Amino acid sequence: MYEIFEHTADLGLRARAVTLRELCEESALGLMEIITGDLAQLRTVDALRFIVQGRDPALLLLDWLAELLHVFATRRMLFARFEVDVSDVPNGLSALAHGEPYDPARHVLAHEVKAITYHDLEVRQSCGGWDATMVVDI
Amino acid sequence: MSDTEFRGPLERVDDCCWRIPRAYKPGMRVDGLVFADDRLVEDLRSDQALEQVANVAFLPGIQVASLAMPDIHWGYGFCIGGVCATDPEEGGVISPGGVGYDINCGVRLVRTSLSLEDVRLTMPRLVDQLMRDIPVGVGERGKYSFDMGALRALLREGVPFLRGRGLATAADVDQCEAGGCIPDAVPDNLSARALERGTDQCGTVGAGNHFVEVQVVDRVEDAVAAEAMGLRAGQVCVLIHSGSRGLGYQVCDDALRVLRDAPARYGVELPDRQLACAPIASPEGQHYLGAMRAAANYAFCNRQLLMWQVREVFARVFGRPWKDLGMELVYDVAHNIAKLERHRTGNVAKTLCVHRKGATRAFPAGHPDLPTRYRSIGQPVIIPGDMGRASWVLVGGPRSMERSFGTTCHGAGRAMSRTAAKREARGRDIRDELHRAGVVARARSREGLAEEQPAAYKDVDVVVDVVHRAGLSSKVARLRPLGVLKG
Repeated sequence: MYEIFEHTADLGLRARAVTLRELCEESALGLMEIITGDLAQLRTVDALRFIVQGRDPALLLLDWLAELLHVFATRRMLFARFEVDVSDVPNGLSALAHGEPYDPARHVLAHEVKAITYHDLEVRQSCGGWDATMVVDI
Repeated sequence: MSDTEFRGPLERVDDCCWRIPRAYKPGMRVDGLVFADDRLVEDLRSDQALEQVANVAFLPGIQVASLAMPDIHWGYGFCIGGVCATDPEEGGVISPGGVGYDINCGVRLVRTSLSLEDVRLTMPRLVDQLMRDIPVGVGERGKYSFDMGALRALLREGVPFLRGRGLATAADVDQCEAGGCIPDAVPDNLSARALERGTDQCGTVGAGNHFVEVQVVDRVEDAVAAEAMGLRAGQVCVLIHSGSRGLGYQVCDDALRVLRDAPARYGVELPDRQLACAPIASPEGQHYLGAMRAAANYAFCNRQLLMWQVREVFARVFGRPWKDLGMELVYDVAHNIAKLERHRTGNVAKTLCVHRKGATRAFPAGHPDLPTRYRSIGQPVIIPGDMGRASWVLVGGPRSMERSFGTTCHGAGRAMSRTAAKREARGRDIRDELHRAGVVARARSREGLAEEQPAAYKDVDVVVDVVHRAGLSSKVARLRPLGVLKG
């Protein structure tokens, strides 16, 4: 699960999951929710493959979300479903993201996300699973 | 937000300045100084903004104090409204977080020869035409696209490059901070990703708090300065707020990636990863400076192309060439930038790297860096407020050099988070409320007007009052909004 929380000028994103793999999926859904305001308007007709390297879970998560921002910025791709795998890439993740290109005729977007910031960036593992907190620059 | 409340010391210096003493946290190299009056200071403890002022005081080579302007609010790394000057000779650092993702986000004010009466009936048509012709909102592409060669030239040369293409006049260049070009920009320091994001976004507004606003001069407070800027009461103006778009965000993101382990490498201890930095003299510091300057030039060009499109819309709606409508640039200021400038600390003149994160340069009258037109009155400073109340034109004040490294505030500052503003707007029609208050507002997204509603911001009159009384900048004219274009 994920939730969007208050931050004065920007938006906070918190995600919780049992595994790191699911944490990466939930965080990505949270990011897409911030951009689109409503994931239900997206069809999952296209898919794109990502590979992201990183040893530190917090930085890996940040780099994964930065890849999604990059693909939106340059190819206008938005996603509503993710399948992340952290076992088949040593020190990293691979992901299949399902969505479609932004279409101004059908989509109303909510926020331009400038970046995922390092401020208060935290990924924690506890007995109950994984937690991530980050601030998204709007 | 009690878990994020600031519980540290805040001592009164005078009626508009407060100190966070260096003793507050081990690691602070200087005090924190916050410009605010009794009204503003009450709300400051409620979030992490003051903690961020204290954190910036950790940066190596910081001079005098970690400063915050009265529009201070919680940012990431630096607070918004933060100012930090570092000395390269004393191991001073440059921190991309002290500039922000939107490098050279800033504002420009365009005057017209039109009066309120000339536009009153036309306003809805004018705002609708601006909405149709000017790319605004998330994911919008610009109508100007530059191939790689042209983009590199634009990044190196700034607004003078656009003049060569017939998209800027000599006066447009002259009336920009730094003449619309920060020297020593190095386009080669930009990643392929940053360049790719820059090809089709020059001349787009973006979203968030960026806007194009038609305004009217509500009242003039300094007739001499207003006359030098060609401003008079009842005159219609256009205010443009945007920055370096995706290209700038990518430059910042790339730099922070490179600097992830730089603090440890250079033996710098920091309380927040977002403050990552490197000595100005280091290869990493120099690389970022070159890239940041290129992104800053892109932002000057973005605002120039937005102004160019605004001129074209006015010409179309009013049926006269923009020159006949007197649409001249008053001034363009950056409010997210780091620059090497000459300043005095004590009795010594030094070249310092001044970071302004949501803060505006405000050089006083007589400063050699000002265009001739403004040298006797001081640098024009443009302060956007909110879309319902007011914006201000100021000039650099007599005490700005000694108190704030020639700096003043940059806006009203947020008072309400985006989520709280949306909650407040539930069940209300903000567009209709603005309409009844005499403002024609249009936004591309459903969130635009709710999150940016007037009540989400501090009262800009109060903020401007503080910088005026503190001698950082002086009031020239108050403007109020007539038409608003939002992302």
